[in-house]
Amino acid sequence: MTSELEAENAALLQFLYACPAGLIEFSASGGIGMVNPAAMNLLLPIAGRPFVTNLFEVMEGCAPELRNMIQRFEPAHGAICDGHRIVTGRGDRSLVLACSIVKLTQERYITTLTDVSEQVARERRLKQAEAWFASLLDGVDDVAVLSLDANGCIDAVTGSALRQTGFAETELLGRRFEAFDRPDRASAMPLPGEAIAIARRDGWHLHEGWHARADGGRYWCQRLVAVRDHAEAPSAGFTLVMRAVTRQGKDAADLRRMLTRDHLTGASNRAHFFEAAERQRVRSLQGGESMAVIVLDVDHFKRVNDGYGHAAGDTVLREVARRCEAELRPEDIFARLGGEEFVALLPSATLEMAVVAADRLRMSLAGKTIDCGEAQLSITASFGCSTLDAAPAATLAELLAAADAALYQAKRSGRNRVVSFKADQVAA
Amino acid sequence: MHSFEAISLDALDTMGTEQLDTLPFGVVGLTSEGLVEIYNATEERLAGLPREGVIGTHYFSVTAQCMNNFMVAQRFEDEAEIDAVIDYVLTLRMRPTPVRLRLLKASGKERHFILIQR
Repeated sequence: MTSELEAENAALLQFLYACPAGLIEFSASGGIGMVNPAAMNLLLPIAGRPFVTNLFEVMEGCAPELRNMIQRFEPAHGAICDGHRIVTGRGDRSLVLACSIVKLTQERYITTLTDVSEQVARERRLKQAEAWFASLLDGVDDVAVLSLDANGCIDAVTGSALRQTGFAETELLGRRFEAFDRPDRASAMPLPGEAIAIARRDGWHLHEGWHARADGGRYWCQRLVAVRDHAEAPSAGFTLVMRAVTRQGKDAADLRRMLTRDHLTGASNRAHFFEAAERQRVRSLQGGESMAVIVLDVDHFKRVNDGYGHAAGDTVLREVARRCEAELRPEDIFARLGGEEFVALLPSATLEMAVVAADRLRMSLAGKTIDCGEAQLSITASFGCSTLDAAPAATLAELLAAADAALYQAKRSGRNRVVSFKADQVAA
Repeated sequence: MHSFEAISLDALDTMGTEQLDTLPFGVVGLTSEGLVEIYNATEERLAGLPREGVIGTHYFSVTAQCMNNFMVAQRFEDEAEIDAVIDYVLTLRMRPTPVRLRLLKASGKERHFILIQR
């Protein structure tokens, strides 16, 4: 007879023996402490011999980066990678493994290994299909092909790329392909390096946005970064395919507008704002730069709606958005958060710059009446600012809350004014 | 002689459970479909699994995934007769454990065996 604890132990062992995903516990030097059968089954063909005792030694040939990733990871614990792809073997016996590693302590790590070869093959097919459909939908005028090295720097161009962009070969070679992005308010750009990281993981990355032309202009560009297929050197580099789309289908343009713009004012909508702002926050943190959030709320807006009707209210909101956007820089994002509340996101702006910008917005609203047909309405708004340089560790939600608190102060102290959040004001 | 190297498939086949349990190495007896019929006390103890949970299950997919490859499971499918000793690493109780495996299969015998020596 087995005790209850022994029975439980046996059930746990069987659970791990039968687990379809590989599970390995290993030390900082790669020594395997615990390993389940599925993991061993994945490691044996890589090792080519039945003695598998060190993870780093087994992976040396196909994923030498594992050792570095673990050494470079500074936090005391946490996720080191999630679904990191490892291409094992060569030719038709090659498998793609997805590897997630968690650091438990300085000396203890756990990794899962899953065979995702099938998924990768499906993704490849999907990529081809997607590219085909995109060309059917969008009326592609020109396709340019460039070659990128493993770091995403352009290392070879074709004539088609020179024709499409107008740049000379020497202006393109050696530069990161993202240096030619020309983002605007409506396009949420991937972070630098993101496209390469995703392409390395999934085999491809698709994006569309504005791209620079040599004459200073820009064109709408669909961009595919694809891992170059060399079985013997999987990290050889990437192929960048750029498609100039001059006749963006009306449906696609409408859809894009619907997804990113507020239907009434034409400002960015909430979803787009939060997505773009979070990307910008990460980018600012990485670049050691500031970023400002200005929240504004139209003063006594209820009186407009109640006194002049909702049509007048709508006109006011549209005009507020128009005037504010006219005062902002192209890289700033102006969005309607809801009701009569708007937000402006100013990349790289310090608190001082944000206050100046907010005051410019304030004056452009208060300075001139808004024509609502029968009535000329004098409209003011109150502003609250917060920035990363004043609160460097703030999340986006915290930045918005701080700006909201400042806005509340602006309202309480008489409206039509700008108040900035300062960390030392919290208690005041 | 009932040593790991010398014991014959015939001898294993005729031994009762009590005798098998006295052997100092693990004994797993499988049907031609790979279902576990014999799981001796030594194997029970070293793998940490009571035999009630293992008997009747498919050995290579439930308990011994790490032998479900060309080095072990595939050989039982491909070869008509086997009597081979191989060095191997098992994941007993999740610990990589170097072992010696003896694979035994004979034509005309319904049951084949895996012997495991730590």
